[in-house]
Amino acid sequence: MVGALIGVVAAAAGAALPKRWRVPASASLVLCGCLTELATSIRVLATGSDAHWHSIDLLPFTGVTLLLTPLGAIFVVLVTVVAVPATLYWIGYSSHGASARTTACNYAMFVTVLLIVPAAASVATFMFLWEMMALTSLALVLTDQGRRAAARSAGVWYGVITHAGAAFIMAAFLLLASHSGSQTFVAMTSHARTLAPGARAVIFLLALVGFGSKAGVVPFHVWLPRAHPEAPTPVSALMSGAMVALGVYGIVLFGNVLLSGGPVWWWLIVLALGGVSALFGSLHAVNSTDLKKLLAYSTTDNIGLALLAVGASGIFVATGHGRLGALSLVAAVFMLVNHAMFKGALFLVAGSVQVASGTRDLDELGGLLRRMPQSGALFLVAAAAICALPPLNGFVGEWLLFQSLLQGVNLGSTAGDIAITVSVAALALAAGLTIVAFVKAAGVGFLGRPRSPGANDAREVAMSMRVGSGLLVVMCVVAGVAPMTILSAVERAVRAALPRVGSRSVVRGLQLQLVGARGVLAPTVLAASLAGALILAVSLRRALARRRAVRVVEAWGSGRELVTARMQYTATSFAEPVQRVFDDVLRPVRDVNVSHVAESRYVIESMSYRSRVDDGIERALYAPVIKVIRRWGQYARRLQPGSVHRYLAYGLAALVVTLLVVAVAG
Amino acid sequence: MNHQVFDNVLGLGCGVVVLSAVVTLWRHSLIAIIRALAVQGVALALVALTLGLHGHDRGLEVVAGLVLLAKGVVVPALITKVVRHDVASRETDPLVNVPASLVAAGVLIFLAFAASRSVTALTSNAPGRLIPFGMAAMLIGFFALATRRKAVSQIVGLLLVDNGIALVAFLATAGVPLIVELGASLDLLLITVVLRVLATQMRRRLGTVDLDGLAELHD
Repeated sequence: MVGALIGVVAAAAGAALPKRWRVPASASLVLCGCLTELATSIRVLATGSDAHWHSIDLLPFTGVTLLLTPLGAIFVVLVTVVAVPATLYWIGYSSHGASARTTACNYAMFVTVLLIVPAAASVATFMFLWEMMALTSLALVLTDQGRRAAARSAGVWYGVITHAGAAFIMAAFLLLASHSGSQTFVAMTSHARTLAPGARAVIFLLALVGFGSKAGVVPFHVWLPRAHPEAPTPVSALMSGAMVALGVYGIVLFGNVLLSGGPVWWWLIVLALGGVSALFGSLHAVNSTDLKKLLAYSTTDNIGLALLAVGASGIFVATGHGRLGALSLVAAVFMLVNHAMFKGALFLVAGSVQVASGTRDLDELGGLLRRMPQSGALFLVAAAAICALPPLNGFVGEWLLFQSLLQGVNLGSTAGDIAITVSVAALALAAGLTIVAFVKAAGVGFLGRPRSPGANDAREVAMSMRVGSGLLVVMCVVAGVAPMTILSAVERAVRAALPRVGSRSVVRGLQLQLVGARGVLAPTVLAASLAGALILAVSLRRALARRRAVRVVEAWGSGRELVTARMQYTATSFAEPVQRVFDDVLRPVRDVNVSHVAESRYVIESMSYRSRVDDGIERALYAPVIKVIRRWGQYARRLQPGSVHRYLAYGLAALVVTLLVVAVAG
Repeated sequence: MNHQVFDNVLGLGCGVVVLSAVVTLWRHSLIAIIRALAVQGVALALVALTLGLHGHDRGLEVVAGLVLLAKGVVVPALITKVVRHDVASRETDPLVNVPASLVAAGVLIFLAFAASRSVTALTSNAPGRLIPFGMAAMLIGFFALATRRKAVSQIVGLLLVDNGIALVAFLATAGVPLIVELGASLDLLLITVVLRVLATQMRRRLGTVDLDGLAELHD
């Protein structure tokens, strides 16, 4: 809790200090806060004993109750994984318009709140911190609202969805708290078992909607592709890597801890939401040309995968396959940690690209690997990690999830069996689409020739920005080559979340050996053999090349001498085959305009072609709601015609009605 | 002061407060309305003085003096000045006409008594039983506020609301603390001054002190 105090001081420093000292002072204090909290959570994970802190005075009536369990601690670790590099990155990035007082103050508060949300252990504390998290991040999304209308619109979407979600969460908490007569999580857990099944289901579904909206799950994902691109880059990284993961934390908190598990059908819903989100997110990631928007859709994809694993875990536990359930939950949490690493790195590099070239549009980028070699290399490694290529961390996560799902296709529950089998297919398809999306992002953005003057003039960014994103990429490699420490920590957290399931660790020295299923993976050996094979290939090539003289010639330009940037694949054209395959799902809007020369209809003067992929769920689900609300808004305008007398009459009427009620009731 | 006299004087004061409130709805002439307001101020001061003498409360006697000065003399005098400048100093066309207003006032008085039944049931002494009078004055003031067109009758309505609240306060708690009463009186004095400025400005800009003229400022 010292960390929280340091964070508040950091926010004050950000608000008070003059411009020159503001960001460095605030950032270093934030880093101190992160490291303090990291130390606390590592102690909790190492010893398995909870850290407890309570204060009556901080919040009126209820006080503040913090209890850091191993489950919460692993999420604190996840937050620090993104927060430390993002804060380092911020030091360099702040000179590009993120050094205002409000930004500095809100950033420090946002990180601080993210760090203590997983430790909140009473309804009042949790909701207070949760809303603080929403408000500070909303203010950060609106950083650029003076100049960009898109930022304002993103703020509105994010604000509305996050507040609606908070209302659902609040309802779930209130139902649970009113039954148990106490608002601390410990008391609620012990009373929840005596609740009627119907009430339990209602509470779980409310929480699922509320936390799902924060997690960016379909159909509540619409704020992600708007808010993530508009927020300052370190904030996008934190929102996508850490805040969204806390949505999944909330679902696990309710489903596994507070309600201590539930029937199969709850988890089937979670599994379905996860699967649909994974497919929808990856499909739209393939079709996005805005780099940050692509990453935002990919966040929906990754969170969907984690949620799919949570759902599968619930199904396994509910059908009596506890060990498999524990394995799935380990996979889910591990994938979230991985996601924090590689998505954080990708967002930070995307921010560097925007700073260096002035655009995020992939169709205007290109050739950045040569101009920004270090950032480019970092992007390629992080993209390989998100595509789950060995020996990086994404591979270990997906391997665990695939193994647990493949072992679980024969549960004895028909619905569960079918769901698990289908979800294996969905997982495979989503993984494939992710690869397409990131081949596109890396290939179009970083290889080839620049497509705009901005991309042509791009230069490598400030040191702190490279260090920030580099740190995350190093984490990706370490977590891929030697995942044993992290996995042990995750397992301890999962054991705390599923106390009735006895589970043994999958970590066996340098190997990962599945529990409750057959399967062995030795990531370190895999990495070593890959490195060996690479060295062998390179030295073989050297040896062979020495025999023959190297001939340097011009690249073949299809018979043409002049090769221009416009001859390359664009992001749109690369995605076109996928778009064609999923035509019925995506329903792209294509628009061809042909104008003829006045003299003849057979001679074309100009042609323009426009193609746009809209978010189908947004169109079908949100547009009608917005239309109805707008109409009601028009009606509401009639209530205020500008007549003073009318307003006074409203007041009198309200008073008279109140008195009538008193008269009748009293 | 014996109980019989105390009860009678208190009842008289409260009755005059409500009656003068009804008079403001009845009369068209703004001068008459302001006079009714002044009478109400004096009656309010009488109630405070009676309570102070009966309870041997020196503070309340001072408040009574201040109420007499502020609500009985200064505020009515200030508003009268506004009206003197106005040629058409009549509330000619209220949103609800006078007979209907009087009926409404009757209904509001009835409502005040019905709603404060639970309060009056708690107590048997005279001040507690008179609380509905204060409420009735307040409701009538609010009604005047919502239905009268002239800026002057609006401010009179607001002052009626305040007087009603003050009456309830005197009766229910034997007087609000001196400092609160002073603060509230000062507020009203300020509002009256603002009204004078506003009325002057409105007359200069719009040629009328009719509040509906302000609706044109709405988009």
